[in-house]
Order: sequence, then structure tokens, then C-alpha cells
Amino acid sequence: MTRVLRIFGLLALVGIVAVAALFWIGRGSGDIPPASVDFANLDADQRQKLLTRGEWVAHASDCAACHTDPSGGSDLAGGLPMETPMGSIFGTNITPSKDFGIGGWSADDLYRAVAWGVAPGGKNLYPAMPYTSYHQITRADSDALWVWLMDQRAVDKPNKSNDLIFPFNIRPAVALWNALFRPDAEPFQSNDSQLQQGEYLVDVLGHCGECHTPRNLAYALTDDHLAGAVIENAYAPDLRPDALARRGWTQDDMVAFLHRGLSPQGVMTFGMFPVLSHSTSHLSNDDLTAMTAYLTAGHTMPGPQVRAPTDALSREGQLLYTGLCAGCHGDEGAGQPNSSVRLDVNTTAMYANPLNLIRVISEGIPERDLAQGERMQAMPAFGAMLSDQQIAQLVNYLRQRWGGRPGDVTAEAVGSAIEKRHTTQ
Amino acid sequence: MAERINFSATINGQKVGPMNLPQDLMMIELLQEYLNLTGTRLSCGQGVCSACRIIVDDPVRGSYTVPACVTGIAWLNGKSVRTIEGIAEQDDQGSPLPSAIQKAFLEHFSFQCSYCTPGFVNAATVLVEQLEGSPIPADKVEDAVLEALDAHICRCTGYVRYYQAVRDVILKTPGLTTENPAATERAS
Repeated sequence: MTRVLRIFGLLALVGIVAVAALFWIGRGSGDIPPASVDFANLDADQRQKLLTRGEWVAHASDCAACHTDPSGGSDLAGGLPMETPMGSIFGTNITPSKDFGIGGWSADDLYRAVAWGVAPGGKNLYPAMPYTSYHQITRADSDALWVWLMDQRAVDKPNKSNDLIFPFNIRPAVALWNALFRPDAEPFQSNDSQLQQGEYLVDVLGHCGECHTPRNLAYALTDDHLAGAVIENAYAPDLRPDALARRGWTQDDMVAFLHRGLSPQGVMTFGMFPVLSHSTSHLSNDDLTAMTAYLTAGHTMPGPQVRAPTDALSREGQLLYTGLCAGCHGDEGAGQPNSSVRLDVNTTAMYANPLNLIRVISEGIPERDLAQGERMQAMPAFGAMLSDQQIAQLVNYLRQRWGGRPGDVTAEAVGSAIEKRHTTQ
Repeated sequence: MAERINFSATINGQKVGPMNLPQDLMMIELLQEYLNLTGTRLSCGQGVCSACRIIVDDPVRGSYTVPACVTGIAWLNGKSVRTIEGIAEQDDQGSPLPSAIQKAFLEHFSFQCSYCTPGFVNAATVLVEQLEGSPIPADKVEDAVLEALDAHICRCTGYVRYYQAVRDVILKTPGLTTENPAATERAS
């Protein structure tokens, strides 16, 4: 008995030492590269260049996606909830308010927070702040961002407390996660080629992988980079080149999609709509071309092609489509400009995961001002009019007719998708 | 050539069909071109303005409206439908008796050109019918009216007279609100 207790005690001691070691490794940051400029001696021209670059970094990094104030007024005053399986995390105030924002932060502080996930005072940020992607931001871009952020209007608005379940509400535990999953900050080395610029925009500033890369049980990004993942109850699709080619994307269509919010393959919806508004619609044609060149590198992109049905289409699905969808989308799925999207080459029906298709049919999509003057009228919600069985029939009809997918979606799967949505609202 | 279906429905209480019709026919065309029910107005043709909304009476979920311009007969086949022609009742002489909503719209001068009025009448009628089954507190009525009529576009009167008319009907009709002044008065 004593021997068992000794072994148990030894194991407990090893465990405590291991946790302490992980905590020590993960709580702080590594080295901080020196500032790229002498902030104390900037002339007007240098400062203006930093402001311009800083604004570009803010757009490319999509700071506003999480830090915007949902009640309006400021893109940086915080308060937007990010729904995770562990609970809600609220975007913080990153205006230069001394009391409520980051007005007291130095440029070093900003770099440490963005690249290492550690705020002043050694406070570990939750990895909802995508430092696992930003870890490769260059010091020059972080410095330009700091200059721009400090030039924005201060909003004295307190942060909202996160609403996380135990044990995730113990912030110091983030240090353990960091020790296991946080990559070291390592400024991106670029030879200025288009592909590298695209990689920097997609993988570092744009942090596309934070939604589009699957996560493991610890909610850390896996090695299946950009392979598609469900986040906030929507499917963020596979962005690997062969998957993009299979779904009929071309580089030009992707540039149009990121610039204007729509293309023959679809319209910015769910979590991508704010990305369009705050980020991609502000990027230059060169930036978007670089991003899409990186995403499609080395692959032939055949473009949108209307597929033959994968199977005999159900009569029920056909009647539902003709009765409720064809009035706007057309019998052949041709759609109408700025009114209803094309369905014959729309990618939403092409995903193996039917979640987005189910949600769009059930919940509809609000009328949207996209970007560069493009708009789309509202898509009505049919959830109250249709049973789960009918939604499944319609989803299967669309998947089979144009999606190249089997009609294997069940009423139970529809019910589960809709229920999940309701429980996360 | 489009496939054809045998269409039957109950429209304003009358059995219609079976009719052999193109499967992709929209309801507005059936009403106007086949049945001579021209009160349902075609406007945007995209399901946005709500001028053409008609009522579907579902035995399970109750009444709701759909835009007739983009709702196909394939969906309405076998269902029970009401259009603006079916809202008013008749007196002993066979003359039309406007419904409470129609009367209120007249009394409030809610419309001028009237193009959007059938849609407003139908949506307001459905709201009243929903409240008959699920009354709401009187102080929530304005929100409920706004939500029910929000999608309806009017280019003449600026909505206020429509909204006020529907609000008044709801507040004056016993049983539609949980704190109905008329009901309270009667009880005392």
C-alpha cells in the first residue's frame, strides 16, 4: 500500500513539475525584435508613410472583424462576441483610450500581443486573438499598425467580460496551451515575389487558416492547412488548390469575390461577409492577385462548369425547387444579377458538408450592401414553411442537380443543424 | 417545354381544378391570367416589395403569406389560399362588407394609389389571425405590427397610416392582446 502511495505521489510530483514547466514556457514571450523605426524622431513624411502602411495592415489583418463595436460607432472599440465551444469571447477595445483601450501600450507591447499573444503585465490573451497566425508579422508592419492605431479616435468604453465555461475561464491556463501549440514569433522573410506576398497576406495577416483550417480537440490548428472546418456553426470551405479548382474557381473570380463580394461561384455569406466589409474589399488588386496566386499556385483552374446530375432527381425535390426557388433563381439556376445568385455553378451545394446549404434555406440571408456598389437582395427564410424532411429533399435536389454530391442528407441531419444554430444564438 | 402538373387548390373557399398547367407557372399568373382574380398586384416580380402577398391557410401552422410573383403553383398545389378577393364578407344583399382591417385602412386613409394595399391587407389579416391564437401584451403591439408589415413597400402614404390602422384594430378587438382595454372595460 505504501509503495502504491509512493508511486502515486511520485507521479503527482512529476505531473506538477510538468505543468509548472509548461506554464513557465507558455506564459511569457520570447525575444522581441528591435523597433523598425525611431518613433521619437519621425518626420512628417515618415509618419504619413507609417500611417498609410498601418491602415493597410489593419485592413489586411482584419482587426475590425473581432474588435468592432456591434452597437456601432467604432470599428475598434470591441464588444463583438466570438462563439466557441468553450463559450463566448468578446473582442476588446483597441482604440487608444488610456483607461479602456491600448492607449498605454508601446510599440513593443503591441508586437508582443500580436505575435506572442501576451499583453502588458504578462497577461495571456486567449488564442481567439490569432497570434498563432500573426506570429510571423514583420516588426515593420507591427510598428506601422501601432502608429495607425494610436492615431485613431479613443473610445472610452469598457471591455465585456468573457463568458467561458470552467476550466477555460482560468486565463493563466492559456499558458499551458501556448506551451503545447503556440508557434514562436518569427518575422516573415519575403523575397517580395508575388507568391510570397500572397502567402504573407493569406497565412499571416489575413489569418485565413484560423477559420478554414480544422482544429484538434484542444482547439489548436492542425496540419491540414486550409482544409476546411466548421466554425461558429458554418462551414468554412476547403481552400486548397485542388478543392478550389474542383469547385470551379478561377483566380479572376476569386479576386472579384474578395473585392466585390460576389462572383458566379457565390456571394460572401456568414462569417465571410464582415471579412469582405472590413478587410478584403479594401485591398488592392495587386494584393488580391497575390493572395489568389498563392491559393491556386501550381494548379490549372478550369473555371465554373455546370455539372450533370449525380443521380435521378427526386420528384419531391423538383417540386419544392420549382415552387419555392425557381421564381427567383430560375428553372435552370441562372439567377438574376444583384437579386438572386446563380445556383448552377454555386459552390455551396458542392461541399460534402451540407451545413451552409441547410442554414441558407432555413434562415435566409439578409439584404446586403456588399462592396464597390454591389448589392444583393434578401433571400427569404424557409425554415418555418418547410419540415426538416422537405428541407432535406430540397438540399439533396440541389446537391445532386448542381453540386456533384450524393443526395444523402437526412431530415435528422437538417434538424440537428437547425437546432445547433438555435442553441448558439 | 416545361413539364405539366395537375393543379388543384382551394382559392377563397372555392375548389379550383384539377387544371393541367405548366409546372413552373407562378401563382400570380394563375390568378390573373387563368382565374381572372386580378386583385393581386404584380410589382417587383422578385418577392421583395410584398404587393402580391397572398395568404396560405395551413391546417397545422395556421395562416401565413407568400409572394405570389415568385411562388410557384408547384408549392401551392393542394393547399388552401386566400387572395384580396376573399377577404371581404357579404351582407344579406350580396354586397361586400369590408373586413375590420379593410375598414380601418379606409378610415385611416391608409392608401392613395392602392397598388400595395392587397399585400398590406393580407399581411395584417394574418397578423390578426395569429394574435387570435397567441395574444400579446398591448405594449408589444406596435413592434408586432412593424415586424409583420416591415417587408411591405408603399410609395404613397409613408406607412404610418397603415401601421396605425392595424394597431387600432388589434387594440380594439377583444382577445388579441393580453391587456386589452376593451376587454377590461367589459369585465368591469
